[in-house]
Amino acid sequence: MIELQTARPFFEDKPELLQEILGRYPDYGRRSALMPLLWEVQRAERYVSEARIAEIADILDLTATEVRGVMSFYSTYHGEPVGRYHLQVCATLSCKLAGADQLTDYLEDTLGLVPGETDAEGRFSLQKVECLGSCTTAPVLQVNDTYYERVGRADVDALLAAMKEDVLPEPARVRAGDNERYGPAAPAGEEDA
Amino acid sequence: MKIHVNDVPLDVAPGTSVIDAVFAAGYDVPYFCSQEYMSPIGACRMCLARVGAPRKDRATGEWILDEATGDAKIFWFPNPMATCTTQVMEGMVVDTLSKEVKRAQNGMVEFTLVNHPLDCPTCDKGGACELQDRAYEYGTGESRFVFDKRHQEKHHALSEAITLDRERCIHCKRCVRYFEEVPGDEVLDFIERGGHTYIGTLEDGLPSPFSGNITDICPVGALLDSTSRFRGRNWEYHHTDTTSLDDPSGAALRIDARTGRIERIKAGLNDEVNKTWIDDGTRFGHEYADHADRITLPMVRKDGRLEPVAWSEAMRVVRDKLGGVDGTKVGVAIRADATLEEGVAAQALAAHLGTGRLDHAPRPAASVLPGGAPATLRDVATSDGLLVLGDPTHEAAIVDLRIKDALKGVPPADLLPHGVPIADLRLTERMPRKTEILTVVAPYRTDLMKHAGRTVTPPAGGEGALLRALLALAHARTEAQGASDPGKAADAALAGWDDAVGMSAADAAALLDALAAAEAPVLIWGGFVSADPDADAAARALATAVGAKTLILGPMANAAGLERIGVLPSHERYAYDPASSEVRAWILGDLDPAQDPTVAKRFADLDALIVHAAFENATTALADVVLPAVTGYEKEGSTLNAEGRLLPVRAAPVEAGAATDFTGVVKAYGEAAGERLEGRSVRSARRVLKKRLDVDLAELPDDGRLLPPAPAAARGARALPARRAATGSALVVPSLVRIEHLDRNPTLLREHGGPTLRMHPSDAHAHGLTRGEVVTVPVGGIPRRLVVAPDDGVPEGTWLVPTLPDQPVGLHPLDLDALRRERGETAEVA
Amino acid sequence: MSGAVTDTVDRITSRRDPRFEVTLYAYVGVEGAHTLDAYLERGGYDAARRALAMEPGEVVDLVKASGLRGRGGAGFPAGVKWSFMPPPDGRDRYVVCNADESEPGSCKDRYLMEDDPHQLIEGMMIAGHAIQATTGVIYVRGEYHHAYERLRAAMEEARARGILGRGVLGTDVDFDLILHRGAGAYICGEETALMNSFEGLRANPRLKPPFPAQAGVYGRPTTINNVTTLASVVHVVAKGADWFAAMGTDDSKGIHHAQVSGAVARPGVFEVPLGITYREIIHDLAGGPVGPAKAFIPGGTSCPLLPFDDAHLDLPMEYAAMANAGTMMGTGGVIVIPQDQCIVDAMYNVVRFYAHESCGKCTPCREGVATWLPKMYQKLLAGLGTPEDVDLIEDMVKNLRGTAFCPLADAAAWPVQKSLELFRDEYEYLAHHGTPMYPAKDRWSA
Ligand SMILES: Cc1cc2nc3c(=O)[nH]c(=O)nc-3n(C[C@H](O)[C@H](O)[C@H](O)COP(=O)(O)O)c2cc1C
Ligand code: SF4
Ligand code: FES
Repeated sequence: MIELQTARPFFEDKPELLQEILGRYPDYGRRSALMPLLWEVQRAERYVSEARIAEIADILDLTATEVRGVMSFYSTYHGEPVGRYHLQVCATLSCKLAGADQLTDYLEDTLGLVPGETDAEGRFSLQKVECLGSCTTAPVLQVNDTYYERVGRADVDALLAAMKEDVLPEPARVRAGDNERYGPAAPAGEEDA
Repeated sequence: MKIHVNDVPLDVAPGTSVIDAVFAAGYDVPYFCSQEYMSPIGACRMCLARVGAPRKDRATGEWILDEATGDAKIFWFPNPMATCTTQVMEGMVVDTLSKEVKRAQNGMVEFTLVNHPLDCPTCDKGGACELQDRAYEYGTGESRFVFDKRHQEKHHALSEAITLDRERCIHCKRCVRYFEEVPGDEVLDFIERGGHTYIGTLEDGLPSPFSGNITDICPVGALLDSTSRFRGRNWEYHHTDTTSLDDPSGAALRIDARTGRIERIKAGLNDEVNKTWIDDGTRFGHEYADHADRITLPMVRKDGRLEPVAWSEAMRVVRDKLGGVDGTKVGVAIRADATLEEGVAAQALAAHLGTGRLDHAPRPAASVLPGGAPATLRDVATSDGLLVLGDPTHEAAIVDLRIKDALKGVPPADLLPHGVPIADLRLTERMPRKTEILTVVAPYRTDLMKHAGRTVTPPAGGEGALLRALLALAHARTEAQGASDPGKAADAALAGWDDAVGMSAADAAALLDALAAAEAPVLIWGGFVSADPDADAAARALATAVGAKTLILGPMANAAGLERIGVLPSHERYAYDPASSEVRAWILGDLDPAQDPTVAKRFADLDALIVHAAFENATTALADVVLPAVTGYEKEGSTLNAEGRLLPVRAAPVEAGAATDFTGVVKAYGEAAGERLEGRSVRSARRVLKKRLDVDLAELPDDGRLLPPAPAAARGARALPARRAATGSALVVPSLVRIEHLDRNPTLLREHGGPTLRMHPSDAHAHGLTRGEVVTVPVGGIPRRLVVAPDDGVPEGTWLVPTLPDQPVGLHPLDLDALRRERGETAEVA
Repeated sequence: MSGAVTDTVDRITSRRDPRFEVTLYAYVGVEGAHTLDAYLERGGYDAARRALAMEPGEVVDLVKASGLRGRGGAGFPAGVKWSFMPPPDGRDRYVVCNADESEPGSCKDRYLMEDDPHQLIEGMMIAGHAIQATTGVIYVRGEYHHAYERLRAAMEEARARGILGRGVLGTDVDFDLILHRGAGAYICGEETALMNSFEGLRANPRLKPPFPAQAGVYGRPTTINNVTTLASVVHVVAKGADWFAAMGTDDSKGIHHAQVSGAVARPGVFEVPLGITYREIIHDLAGGPVGPAKAFIPGGTSCPLLPFDDAHLDLPMEYAAMANAGTMMGTGGVIVIPQDQCIVDAMYNVVRFYAHESCGKCTPCREGVATWLPKMYQKLLAGLGTPEDVDLIEDMVKNLRGTAFCPLADAAAWPVQKSLELFRDEYEYLAHHGTPMYPAKDRWSA
């Protein structure tokens, strides 16, 4: 279930993490820590609440408005919690040409969700996203931070089954093309050209 | 640089933007995102034009010539250029008239209108809308966008005073940029991105004292002043260009009135003073002028009750009452935001009555006229070393903004044939600010401090000690330079330093170094220093020692002017003191001293109490005669701002019955007394002022005229301050919101909250006071009704109370034992 | 060492040339190749050592001589860009690696970062030395979590062994890296938007001038390059400018990566010498089209498509040739579009991408690209369009060309324009009939 955030400031018990993040940037660039701080909160709580926005604003000596302005610019920070497994189907051209539309339909039907929704249990959220930079291994499904490449129906079924058991399997990292060691061999007859 | 705009040859300064060159050439280019005094960003793409330039041959360094003509060959940029973000180049050619440009303009208008609701018939901006005008001039007149437009909130209260219609917004970013670039309060931003972008805030309201300016600069009807929403259309308003009498900045205002009432106030343009910005107190604080309980007729007390009468009858009563009083025992006092012309009238009346007990109030202990080298607002904006004592944001709001100009390090632009540059390319978004040039000294945390490189918090009332210490150090250091071992002597000079003045020796030395190193240092001080003649003397001496110009912020709009023309007592040992037992009769302009029960008691046995006022108050309640007064919006006259600039005050057509300014009082009195007194009209007062100041005030230009500084002898430092107060734990502080009008200004009251009693949270705790609770507490004798607002920016043991015209800035006694809780009453604290 | 390569050089323009060797990608896909030990074992950081022993200006000249052009899309000569840096004035200076890789069709940078992170770090060190910057920033798109973790680990390894930090590799040169993660915004690939994003601001592009070399990250002098550009520098230093310049054409020298996706038998990333033909890329390397194809996109979706015919397949992968053909080489992301794919549907997909990614700063992009253009496509695809709508699209994209603040609007408008030029019949068919010439079909074959 989605844990409700407590009133306690997020970074209160993480002073080292906070210092590490702030320490990455020069003194005059303190504001650069904004995105990493948002990222930490998003990863832990699966969204960034107004209370967290205010906390981050305070840390960086910004207004909450500025933090919200930045946060809302990006598509991976959320103002509402997403499910524990955030399924993101790449819908852009290369993936479309490899069946992303059908992959999405299949996930919609299997999970009973429309893109943008989270199931009642808070387990799955489904979302269509734009190009994930994995065009040569299309179609791609990103679950939380992990890419699943060249996913077929059987892969999706196995993946969903595992996630129902709260397991996120290691992805097979496809390295296609460049080295003939990987990916299907060149069709016969082309090699000798 | 020599360039051509269409067929017009032009010589413009390097760095000029092409858009300004086009306007300078007398041509027009439409634009939305550019805005005078703000950074050009090239976002609306409305100002596109074709631009070309000659090129030099890399090898020879010669211009590449056109073979046919033999002239330098023009290389056109492949795409149309945003003229606002393009700089002129030698030999540049700009085309704003061709078919290609027309096409680009049509295209941009069409895009701009894609999501705009075109609800002009119900929009307050209708008739004064940049989009409406530009679409008409540069659009095709038809829309090919057939889809549903973006639906968004149409009545979103960004704050109590500002309403946002999100559908109308064209994303020019003027409002967002404004907050960052002008007041430096980043309280509004774009949210989301792309086609979903909208402006919004997560702050509670728009916590900036200058928020209202966004309603002026929004090119469409997206941001509206809530005091005037749905009140009228632009063409129905009567516009009056005048000067604010709200504080000594002298900001230009435009008052929009309709059917005898003020509907809204907008900023006017005065490049030397406020540019196009005003503060929220000034903008939203006008509703009181239309309040139902305005006094519109003279009233005379009959059988203990005030009865309305005609002016002539009221003045007969005045004449008769004063006739029985020894002239030397009559007191005449006018408020420090009276016009110069009213000042002349008061002088004439006092002279006629034969009294030297004339004054303006509030008037601090020390003179508010600068000494040797007065600083103008331009000097402030171009200074590279600023020492500020006080709280300019609340004392003279425009000074706050001009200080922030200085932090950008970009001097004011030269005016072009069409006025202020539309796109000053020296300004950029999020410019680095030179905070290190600014030192702010105040006994509590002020708004300006967050922009200052150095802040100093002396104890309340401790400015004198601090300034004397700084002065001594400055002198010691100068002497040290001549010593045989300057380093050692300089150290010795520091040795006696006492940190109790509010800063460390090292900081003090660094501050003096910074001022000494500055090319154009300026010292600015306000009421806290002026309340203490010793502090004032030290400040003046310090300015001389470090070679700084000075700017003094008086307590009200025309305090400097009234002092300058001598609306002052003629006795050395006298000052306005309503509690004085020597005065038998009072003539008071816009003052309410009877709020203090001791004064009220004194007033009960006066021979005559004549009060000129716009509203009933504690003093009118005791008066024998009450004369209806106009507000500052309804006066004709002149004022002198803090920098010494004479500025025109003009009357908006407001329905206020038989109300007059103080010249009207003197006229009516003279008629009753059978005398033609000087100052019985604005014209007659101006004849007097022409002789004294050598300026014809009837001929003042809109942006005023600097008055050469007064000879030292003209300064009114010799008189006693009104009831000099120097002790107590209540620090009365300046307020950009006029507290005396707040109850009658519903929008501002909602926006600002009631007047606050601010104290350190530990003091609140110690006295069992909770945030938002309403209390009444005697401050310097006046029971003040205040909202409790704990604030860790207030030092422990000090209680901050906002000033009233009858309660000047400085320390006053606070009677916490007599604090009364207004049961169950609470208020929002901004 | 930096001897100029003359036109008479017998260039490597095909991957079949035995002299060609996979270099940047040599360890992509090799298990365990990403660690510092493995990298050092194969001679890692030798190039950096060599560069650090040179004068900064010499490194710049070397890169200039190599003819290396930026691999982020625009193809600006890297050495020339470096030479724009003002002389050091005591202020901090930055070298920034653009690892935001978001152009649809592109995925070359991800593998370089995941499988050979030290190669990039070494490239940044060399670039840092050349421009005399002591800090590097790697801005990785937020979704590239694995790449981020690999880079982070690599940076830690390098710091632990004195390869990053004070006095790198035993020299008196300081150099360290800041690794920064994006959060899902294509526009962050645009160099000035990237800088805003890095600074914690909304990622709107900035005005140019000032250019990054004058005022980039935090207003400091900055050079920004793509991942592949920086990785290439390692080999330019290691093997010489001549080696690099011997590959490719006069216009476009060296190595690039064809990333082939869409309807081909063997999609993948192929390291290639420039000048290789698209026929070779698509047919030989990627296994040829699956079924008949009608068009291909040569370099990511912002590059207008080309007809899938002999004349175009025989064009070399080269900046100039693509510009002459009315498109761009872009990032080298080749997408093959099958005959039975409705072009209107495909272009809607592209338009929708740019609509989603428009930053909203300027009017034509926000109202045209992000709002109106996708609506026109939706109308057509819903069967509600008319032939006038096709004309309107054409007219609208004309108004979008060259009028927006940054090239994103062009990236949407230009491909649309070209698709209308090549496949107007499909648009008109759809407008007339209300149904597409090629109905949607199940493409999920795997
Ligand atoms: C809209 C837009 C998106 C871009 N996206 C990327 C990108 O994802 N990766 C990249 O390296 N360059 C991208 N660029 C190009 C960069 O602005 C810049 O030219 C490049 O990073 C410079 O590096 P290079 O010279 O090594 O190519 C983009 C440009 C534009 C206008
Ligand atoms: S609200 Fe007005 S000023 Fe602000 S961005 Fe929109 S149109 Fe511009
Ligand atoms: S782009 Fe808006 S005024 Fe120039």
